[in-house]
Amino acid sequence: MMILLKVWSFYLRIAVKFPVLKTIVPFIPLIIAWSLVTELQVFPRAFLPGPMDVISAFGTLTYKGVLTQYLEDSVVRLAVGAAVGVALGIPLGILVGLSDRVRQWVWPILLFFQAIGDIAWLPILLVWFGFSLTTITLVIVYTVLFPIVLNTSLGVRSVSVDLHRAALSLGASKLRVVWEVVLPGALPNIMTGLRNGLGYGWRALIATEIIVGTSGIGFMMFDARRAGSVVEILLGMVVLGTLWYVVDSWVLAPIERATGKRWGLVTQ
Amino acid sequence: MTQRLYSAFKFALPLLLLLIFWEFCVQFFQVNARVFPSIEAVFSAGLEAVNDGSIFKHITASLGRVAVGTLLAVLVSIPLGIAMGLNPIVSDFLSPLFRFFSVLAGIAWIPIATLWFGYGFGAITFVIFNAVFFVVTYNTLLGVASIPMPLRNAAASLGANGWALLTQVILPGALPNIVTGIRTGLGFAWRGLIAAEMIATNEGLGYMLFLARDFYKTEVIVLGMIIIGLIWLTIDRLMLAPLERATIERWGMVRRA
Repeated sequence: MMILLKVWSFYLRIAVKFPVLKTIVPFIPLIIAWSLVTELQVFPRAFLPGPMDVISAFGTLTYKGVLTQYLEDSVVRLAVGAAVGVALGIPLGILVGLSDRVRQWVWPILLFFQAIGDIAWLPILLVWFGFSLTTITLVIVYTVLFPIVLNTSLGVRSVSVDLHRAALSLGASKLRVVWEVVLPGALPNIMTGLRNGLGYGWRALIATEIIVGTSGIGFMMFDARRAGSVVEILLGMVVLGTLWYVVDSWVLAPIERATGKRWGLVTQ
Repeated sequence: MTQRLYSAFKFALPLLLLLIFWEFCVQFFQVNARVFPSIEAVFSAGLEAVNDGSIFKHITASLGRVAVGTLLAVLVSIPLGIAMGLNPIVSDFLSPLFRFFSVLAGIAWIPIATLWFGYGFGAITFVIFNAVFFVVTYNTLLGVASIPMPLRNAAASLGANGWALLTQVILPGALPNIVTGIRTGLGFAWRGLIAAEMIATNEGLGYMLFLARDFYKTEVIVLGMIIIGLIWLTIDRLMLAPLERATIERWGMVRRA
């Protein structure tokens, strides 16, 4: 008991110095429990391989270059889709946010198409473009687009009219007001939209890769499912989870927080 | 009353225009029915599906899966989230774990779920359960952890026992987070459902879409998309969003500026 307490207090002291530990250490008991369950053969090994098997599968697949290639494919697809989505979504969001008339006409249509959801477009996209990269990219663009448009227009509307008028009366042109008042004011919301959109986007990517599948992590997982090799499925899940966790909590969340601090309209 | 009718009309008008635009494009450009269907084709496909009852079969199958999976997940995850959130040390320690799994929730579990449970009801319900469970548990955990300790201490020092503390301080305090969690989780679950139904079943809306694709029946695909959109619009905008707003208004910790 005393030893446990000592270990715990040591962990707490170390964790203050290295905050990274706080996200890594909780996984250790989970992995120990996982290997215990597999060692005790609670489930047949073919159903639930242990952590060691997954690590060795990671080793072989990385050595063969399959994993890195698939990972690269998935990430590039997501990045391209997200870039197009952002390029379309921000201007559209600003337009919808600025003009009441545009908003009145476009808003119901936006809501409806957002509700249809990305995956539901897959069958008709397959009819149009076949099992191709275009299909995958379009699904991702579609998924990323809506959260960005909706959040951007929300952000634009949150900039108070007084600020518009102040800039205008100081002699700014309309374009400059958009560039220097509206856009920075909406930036925190845009970042929130981007973060949500990417979150939905990579889930859609997995689904499309499973169905359309020629390469990518989703394809790897479903291919392994056909071959009945659970190790590679688990490996895919671990890679996806880790990758997204790192991107989300170490890149996107800090950016969102930083823009919120820098440009957010904080009311105290 | 007339006010509400008017705003409903204003909402529906752009969608009506979209329908007219669709019909015009199909007629004017002589679009091949295998590329995009006309409104009449979709309408008659809908009528046919209603007449032979297949549409109701698919819709009840999909909604049934969502209902079962979500209900199970909510029943398990709220007590679990509260139990883990009560102790700050435990909740600090566990929240990265739940964050990891809520990041993974839903679609990424389809391959392994189909392997464990076979194709069919089990796998799909598991995927939905999964999508809702981790998101709701994580949000409940956060919600309970966000209740200021002085509030709990104050209630305790006024003589509230465990049960009263739970029902009158902790549950109401965490409720806005819980409802937000349910809404997010259901969003993931609905998308996961459509994807899972395309892959792993012989019934349900996703299956209907994917089957129609095999025969290039675009009118059935479009019909399915419209139904999916309408159902989700009803669930999300007419049920979940008002619920979320109401709980936040009633129990949220609104700070006055």
